[in-house]
Amino acid sequence: MNSSEKNDATAPCEFMDNLNLLRQTYFFSSFPLETLKVIAYLCAREKFKKGLALFNQNEDDGQAFLVIDGKARLEREDDGKMTVIRECHAGEFLGGLTLLGGRHRLFSLIAVEDTTCLIIHREKFTKAIKQFPDIMPKILKAVVDNISTWEERFLTERAEECGGCLEKLGVSLV
Amino acid sequence: MAKGETPIVKRSLYSWVFAGNVGLQLLLLLIIVVMVFTRVLPLEMQKRIVNEAINLRKIDLLLSYCGIYLAAVVLANGLKYLNSMVTTVITQRATANMRKGLYHYILTLPLSFFRNTQPGMVVNSLVNELTLPANFVGMAVAAPVSNVLTLLAFAGYLFRLNPLLAAVSLSIYPIVVFLVPMLQKGVNRANKKRVDTARTLSSAIAESISGIHEIQGNGAYGIEHRKFDGLADKLEKIRVIWSLYRFGVKTMNNFFTGLGPFIVFILGGFLTIKGQLELGALVAFLSAQEKLYDPWRELIEFYQVYQDGVVNYNRTMEYFNVEPEHALEPQGRPPFELDGSVEVKDLQFETSSGIRLLDGINLSLKPGEHLALVGFSGSGKSTLALCIGQLYKYTDGHVLIGDKEVAELSKKDMVINIGFVSQSPFIFEGTLEENLLYSCKAMIDGQGQPVNNHLPTLDDIIAVLHQTGIFVDVLRFGLNTILARDEHEDLVEVLTRVRRNFQRDYGEELADYVEFFDENKYLYYSSVAENLTFGASAKEAFNNSNLAKNEYFLNFLDRADLTRPLLSLGAALSKQTVDILGNLTPDAVFFEQSPITADELDDYKLIVEHQKRQKLHQLTGTDRQRLLELALRFTPGIHKMAALPQMLETLILEGRALFREKISADDPGAFSFYQLAEYIYSQTILNNIFFGKTKTASPQTQEKIDQSIVQLLIEEDLLETIIEIGMRYDVGTKGDKLSGGQRQKLAIARAFLKAPRILIMDEATSALDNKSQARIQNLLETRWKNKSTLIAVVHRLDTIKNFDRVAVMKAGKIAEMGTYNELIAQKGMLYELVGKK
Repeated sequence: MNSSEKNDATAPCEFMDNLNLLRQTYFFSSFPLETLKVIAYLCAREKFKKGLALFNQNEDDGQAFLVIDGKARLEREDDGKMTVIRECHAGEFLGGLTLLGGRHRLFSLIAVEDTTCLIIHREKFTKAIKQFPDIMPKILKAVVDNISTWEERFLTERAEECGGCLEKLGVSLV
Repeated sequence: MAKGETPIVKRSLYSWVFAGNVGLQLLLLLIIVVMVFTRVLPLEMQKRIVNEAINLRKIDLLLSYCGIYLAAVVLANGLKYLNSMVTTVITQRATANMRKGLYHYILTLPLSFFRNTQPGMVVNSLVNELTLPANFVGMAVAAPVSNVLTLLAFAGYLFRLNPLLAAVSLSIYPIVVFLVPMLQKGVNRANKKRVDTARTLSSAIAESISGIHEIQGNGAYGIEHRKFDGLADKLEKIRVIWSLYRFGVKTMNNFFTGLGPFIVFILGGFLTIKGQLELGALVAFLSAQEKLYDPWRELIEFYQVYQDGVVNYNRTMEYFNVEPEHALEPQGRPPFELDGSVEVKDLQFETSSGIRLLDGINLSLKPGEHLALVGFSGSGKSTLALCIGQLYKYTDGHVLIGDKEVAELSKKDMVINIGFVSQSPFIFEGTLEENLLYSCKAMIDGQGQPVNNHLPTLDDIIAVLHQTGIFVDVLRFGLNTILARDEHEDLVEVLTRVRRNFQRDYGEELADYVEFFDENKYLYYSSVAENLTFGASAKEAFNNSNLAKNEYFLNFLDRADLTRPLLSLGAALSKQTVDILGNLTPDAVFFEQSPITADELDDYKLIVEHQKRQKLHQLTGTDRQRLLELALRFTPGIHKMAALPQMLETLILEGRALFREKISADDPGAFSFYQLAEYIYSQTILNNIFFGKTKTASPQTQEKIDQSIVQLLIEEDLLETIIEIGMRYDVGTKGDKLSGGQRQKLAIARAFLKAPRILIMDEATSALDNKSQARIQNLLETRWKNKSTLIAVVHRLDTIKNFDRVAVMKAGKIAEMGTYNELIAQKGMLYELVGKK
């Protein structure tokens, strides 16, 4: 067994906390401990003061965020008009897809109060993943499951409210 | 490779024997002739000592014969040594020349060759496989000539002593000559089988280890045992046979040469008893007979080296026997300076397996026109760009650059006219500057002019750094440099002054992001050592890296009750770090947040092993020192795998005061403690300006800090100096200390600096953020349009609006081509693609 699993020599440390946080996140839930330790190690905690942007629409910051503490607002600007999508709270994980490939953000995330996040950068993530070739299919499966579940839930719960937008659905068919 | 020379892969092994070595080989021959003479001389002396000196009881003859004997032995050994020396020189020269030649050749092989070739195979060929052939080259003249001559000389001498006896005793050798090659064939056969079986065995082991879950899960030990044991038994048998053959050669050789004395005794003894042979001659005969053995053994060994050498050499050269697709240099003319027009006619490109990746491509660009190639992955856009750039050799049709057929141009012609930025550009180990000038140097290289005269000036370089947006990164590398004492005295003075201005102008604004050096606070972004000494050492022995072995400091730690807690911190750090990083392939990224460096990882793995068996106090002095070293490096703000216990933090703060007191009394001047008026040589330039350390690495904060610092440096006129320092930054193996974006920007800057007439960019901005991408797009439109022809493979369609031409590719064909607006108005494929994005 690895020493970290019967960690008696060390006082509680940030690395251990990060590891536990990641274990509870869907995206990482299928990772073997060996891999997750590396990811937890490569993460960084960052504090965003109220009003600061965690990421901005149209930019590719290449980071995934796990909100540890505080609150942030997801919003989108279209032709000068700002729409608030929703609020993100502690425990929420944003940006799994960002880790897999570079695309500009469709939303901005703004700290509504002082917010602490666990951040992992795509570049570090990619290098870590390369060390564990078996992991990619597991990540893809977690993502596919998540997208399908989302759409399934939307269809059963919200389809009636949707009206004309139904014909645009089918993300899980991509 | 010079013109008209046989390519190295077609050269025979024998051609290396005299190539460039004629003088040395002749010298060898001379040495050998003398050496053979000095080998035979002692035999004659032996005979004369017995027959003349001893028989006739003449002391003076005894002395002079013994003298000659001694001189001959000394000379023979001296010459033997000289012989080995020359042979070694020839061998090593051949190794180096073969390696250089083959390496130069391999670099010119077509890209397709490398798709099917493992780097390990090339490494092995260059490093290992050429050793035996080179050994053969070294021995090729010396071994056969010296040994055959020696044999002949001894044989001649034997015939002179007694022809009958000589003829009978030498009759053994033809039998050996006949039998050895027969046995050697068996050796070779068994050897080949051995290599093959060993390979099968290795892959079987690899397979079962990677499938260990399945084996243990199924409890399939029996099945795996049988598989493996079968192979192991087979290998055992083959190895036994192989060894038997090899010993067979040896034994047979020994047996027959061992028969020699027997024949001499029985026949020579008979002749001597009959009075037909003198006793002295018999002694000489016996000696000579015995001495035949060494050259004979060497000949047999040479024969084996020759066999293995030829096999290895031919196998290696056959593997690389692929024709380069283009000449490196133009023949009998200077390289063309082309006008930048591109004409593609009915272009086809087929892979060797017959898949048509490009089919009937037609397009033409005037000098300075910009073309965007778009389409799905696999549509052939990169292939087209690579064909135009001569990196792929098209199989049919034409690509004309400045009216010259690309297939017929030499590499040099291309290099002078074309710049290339690939999707994942390669950055080489070395400084940023070396990488920046890589293309320029390569272009100038070999034109017979001193390279430095034609390199871009610092102003050019800075302009390009700005244009490509890597300026800030270089600035940051510069700011993160630790200056050596005495090297930049003026700069140091200015920096200390700047520090005050910084605190005045920006101190408040950045206070959240910087941990200022404060004597009364624990610094979480500084190491334990820095927290203890709170100063920069003026003496080597007190440098942070030497503290753990500094007697004075160790005593201080004891006195401050720090040794024990630091050791256990070191133990925790080493265990955790090794646990996390121990099994990863080293990459700079993994070690940014680790107190253990990549080079030290293996050492600490061992120390962690020791800790499993021993308690901390039982560890050896070296292990304890390494753990202490680790603890002293520990920086809680960066190294998250362990926590700093509150107790230890308090002890360290108390220790800081104690250390200051103690060292000021015992060794004043050993440390300069952090104070605003003095430059701190142990810290980076940035930390010196801050008089503290940055707390976070988030891009947002970074940008804020950068803005303030750039402003400050402009005010103080320091920007250029820092950039120059930053350009000396070591980018790491394959540039792994740079981010993907930095690597790409560096590659673009490298191409821009060269300012080629035609620029090919293959998704060259894919790793850049929006701002950088827009900056480069803007630059291409304003500075490069109408000057350089641009062929850009583009993935992100938001950047193509202002290209002169957009070609949409599908399945190896150009589906539509025109300006952006035309194509959008057509509502064809581009319209679809843009809509989807």
